[in-house]
Amino acid sequence: MTSGGSVLRRAITGQRRDVVAASVLAAGHQGGEALVPVVIGLTIDQAVSGGSVSALLRWIAVLGAVFIMLSFSWRFSTRCGERAMERAAHEIRTKLTERVLDPRGGAETKHLPGALVNIATSDAKRVGAINGVIAYAVAALVGLVVSAIALLNMSIWLGLLVLLGTPPLLVLGHLIGRPLERRSDEEQDRAAHASGVAADLIAGLRVLKGIGAERAAIERYRQTSQDSLGATIRAARARAWHDGALLSLTGIFIAIVALVGGKLAVSGDISIGDLVAAVALSLFLQTPFALFSYANGQFAQSRASAQRVAEVLDAEPAVSGGAGKVAEFSGQVRMSGVRHGTLKDLRLDVAPGELVGVVATDPASATDMLACLGRDIDPAEGVVELDGHNLSTLDIEHARSAILVAAHDAVLFEGTLLENVTAAARGPVDRAMVAASANEVASTLPDGADSEISERGRSLSGGQRQRVALARALAADPPVLVIHDPTTAVDSVTEARIAKDLKEIRNGRTTVALTTSPALLAETDRVVLVHDGVVVAEGTHTELVDSNEVYRGTVLS
Amino acid sequence: MSRELLPIATPPRVRAVVGELLSAHKGRAVAAFGVMLVATAIGTAVAPLLGHIVDTVKAGQDALLIPVIWLVVVAVSQGLTTVLGTGMIARLGETMLATLRERFVSRALTLPLEKVEKAGSGDLTSRVSNDVTAVADVVRRALPELARASLTIVLTLAGMAVLDWRFALAALLAAPIQFHTVRWYLRHAPPLYAAHRESVGAQQQQLLDTVGGAHTVRAFRLADAHVARVQERSNAAVALALKGVRIVTQFFGRLNLAEFVGLSAVLVTGFILVNNNAVTIGVASAAAVYFHNLFTPINIALSLVDDAQSAAASMARIVGVADLPATPLPDKKPVTDALVKAASLGHAYVDGHPVLTDVDLQVAPGERIALVGASGAGKTTLVKLIAGIHKPSTGTISVGGADLQPGAVALVSQEVHVFAGTLAEDLRLANPDATDEHLRAALELVGWDAVDLDTVVGDGGHRLTVAQSQKLALARLVLADPAIAILDEATAEAGSAGARELEVAADAALSGRTALVVAHRLTQAASADRIVVLDNGRVVESGTHNELLALDGRYATLWSAWSGSR
Repeated sequence: MTSGGSVLRRAITGQRRDVVAASVLAAGHQGGEALVPVVIGLTIDQAVSGGSVSALLRWIAVLGAVFIMLSFSWRFSTRCGERAMERAAHEIRTKLTERVLDPRGGAETKHLPGALVNIATSDAKRVGAINGVIAYAVAALVGLVVSAIALLNMSIWLGLLVLLGTPPLLVLGHLIGRPLERRSDEEQDRAAHASGVAADLIAGLRVLKGIGAERAAIERYRQTSQDSLGATIRAARARAWHDGALLSLTGIFIAIVALVGGKLAVSGDISIGDLVAAVALSLFLQTPFALFSYANGQFAQSRASAQRVAEVLDAEPAVSGGAGKVAEFSGQVRMSGVRHGTLKDLRLDVAPGELVGVVATDPASATDMLACLGRDIDPAEGVVELDGHNLSTLDIEHARSAILVAAHDAVLFEGTLLENVTAAARGPVDRAMVAASANEVASTLPDGADSEISERGRSLSGGQRQRVALARALAADPPVLVIHDPTTAVDSVTEARIAKDLKEIRNGRTTVALTTSPALLAETDRVVLVHDGVVVAEGTHTELVDSNEVYRGTVLS
Repeated sequence: MSRELLPIATPPRVRAVVGELLSAHKGRAVAAFGVMLVATAIGTAVAPLLGHIVDTVKAGQDALLIPVIWLVVVAVSQGLTTVLGTGMIARLGETMLATLRERFVSRALTLPLEKVEKAGSGDLTSRVSNDVTAVADVVRRALPELARASLTIVLTLAGMAVLDWRFALAALLAAPIQFHTVRWYLRHAPPLYAAHRESVGAQQQQLLDTVGGAHTVRAFRLADAHVARVQERSNAAVALALKGVRIVTQFFGRLNLAEFVGLSAVLVTGFILVNNNAVTIGVASAAAVYFHNLFTPINIALSLVDDAQSAAASMARIVGVADLPATPLPDKKPVTDALVKAASLGHAYVDGHPVLTDVDLQVAPGERIALVGASGAGKTTLVKLIAGIHKPSTGTISVGGADLQPGAVALVSQEVHVFAGTLAEDLRLANPDATDEHLRAALELVGWDAVDLDTVVGDGGHRLTVAQSQKLALARLVLADPAIAILDEATAEAGSAGARELEVAADAALSGRTALVVAHRLTQAASADRIVVLDNGRVVESGTHNELLALDGRYATLWSAWSGSR
């Protein structure tokens, strides 16, 4: 069981040396910043008004020492802190990737890929930021304590005034700001909308041009942009009121400190330097308090993000893993009494070395069969057997090495075309390339098979992508290959050729083709027709075309 | 095709455009700057007032109430003028930004597709998403801060000079250090930041690749390799981030030195002046308070230098496109005679490598022609020429006897895009005046009934299936109602069952139009009025389904494999 809390704890303890170093050094920095006004006051008192050169030199030296301390503390505190943040985020990113790719699956059921990537980037970063939050909080506390000691040392009354006056000041500023800021956030969201719309229209540029919709698109964008202009100006105004209010409040507070400090100085309770230092400290004190509220906000964000990370890490696996291994597979596949999704009592027997076509009248039945064969799920009832072994008793990775399901929507990865094909190759790559006509795809690209494929193959057309994906599946050369609609986007001329080559290259190995393509079905040894979740007819393509109305309707209409 | 990026404006041109935009709002700019100036000037009264209090105390007097009341007055009026001033600056900046982005988008949308394709689609996309956002971010966040901080710096220095010119001189001792620090920073930081942004992009890309393809990764048992890839990209991004942190910490470390030098100089000056009775101790204190208050605005102003630089780079890329000559949009006048005639068409993207050779094609009004052929046969190039996206290298294309005008032929390509927003908004791009009934009728025509037009679709909305997206594209075509339409592989990616449904939809959408269809499934070809078979850039067969079967040529072979009738 992984909870948000344990994700946060691991993010901290995993980097504890850096976190401790960053906190200690950050404390040094804030402490130093608090000392600067104190040293200014002492310099005015003991050097400027006293007229002693040696005192001046002494206090300038002290000031230099304070600056050296605060500057170096900040420098190394920031480095340690950032390192702890970045590394913790990296660890989480790695864990999330491992979880998503776990053979047992299940991480994607609740989240879309985009959301998962967001969790692995933004949320991982926010969880890592907890390490910075710790350092900030420690630093703020130390800054506060140093200022408090300095102020109380001058005068109990002045110290209490500043220390007790600052929090209400900030709370007041916050209260004035909050409703405005909330409105500002809403407006800001609407403002961000404009850039989203522009990017969206540009992404659909070809579509717009295809139907001559440029004018309508420009007009739509102009309206969005003007809308969003209004929203941003309102947002900016709300923020301006917040900033202005805080400025005025601070100024009034300084005036009060000056009044009280001045009275104390006149009566001789504090020195003139103390008065100057008190005014400067009351300005400075806003930093630690602001740091507290910032750290508090960040902490809430880190916790929420940790919760999202934990949810993914803790996702229920889609299937449970078996442990069985088999020395060698002959490639016999049997589905018996399988009930899952649209499948009701499905029976299918494929002998070793056979090339069987499966035509499903309902496309959902095809995907349901793929899910059972690829062990993405375990069927509610019935068994899937490979060489007589129940698939669910086998080690998942081991089973997948024997039975490869090449889904219709299989994606290509970044890298060269050849790298994609060879990624899982166990058989001859050249033959696979030729059989899938992927060599033709390569020949149209600038660097042939060594051309880079970008963004999941989006640089290729649909038909090119399918051929490369098919070549990859053929190169893997598994004992059992299950292919699903491998050529829907391939032109009919090439499709007919691929069908012939497929038969040849898979000769002697078991192949199941879930498709409604007549060109492919014509090359199979046998076709099985699945209708309403059960097998309703079997025979060769030509036999079924001649004899079965449902088959003709599905395949030839 | 060699890549030819879209133009990037020169720095003088960027400045000129900013100047133009400013002068378009001259009155507003002057007023905003004036109000900010007043607000900041009022703020600079605080230090002398504090100095006055110090002197009063020093003199042993108790007349503190008046200066304190003045402090309150200063605080309140500074707050109010700041509200006014920042509001005005924001309005100015946002209005300029809106003008610029509207000009950019309207140019980008009217660019010839050929130009966009030559640049690679990423070029324009990254300008509209990254560059416009980068500039907007700077205008929104950095501009007001920078305006306030720089005014504070200038006026504080002026205020110190009013106390005694020697204080200002002492404060300026910090300037050379700051100047060098900024120069050093600008030399080192921008390339590093650019590299970091790139590596974060690469990491994001890898995650999308791996997570989006998780099912495929599992099926092919590539998990270890993919985890390693993600780690590698993530490590690279982390390393660059930490390098960036080193630079930033060094930058502020050097600024700390400047603070120390300036503050010491001001204190020493105060010491000397007070001891020579040139100024009072109150004035010396005021100078010290002044300088201490400068720390924050100086840090803000200097750290924004980097933002300003990257905004300028983005501006150059926006202005580069916004400055392109406007291409007039074709008037949408109805095509009266929908006869399409292409004569001796030839086309080569690269000289000496013809993709099409000597193609003659005539499409009679109302006729539907199916184009069949292997990929690479030239089908897509042919339809792009007829749609007016590329100019043919040789030969002519006419519509109704006149030269082909841009926009005369509609093209629905394989690329489907669902525009973010409601379904109705998406459809109205094709015909802004269409009523809800029109929209519903168009959807029903393509076999999509009982749908809520207010469904939010596209990025961030309801995810449509491939088949639904393509039906949407066909419904748009119906609404745009062109006389001549081309469908290029519009039914290709829906899987076989979906493809048949889409064929029916395409049939309905094309009825009554002159049409050219690139057909994958031969059943779709068979139902066309005429079939044209392309091979290697040439027309090799042309005729009705039955004629071509009788010819017993290439098409007949394909058909027999397809129908299993051997």
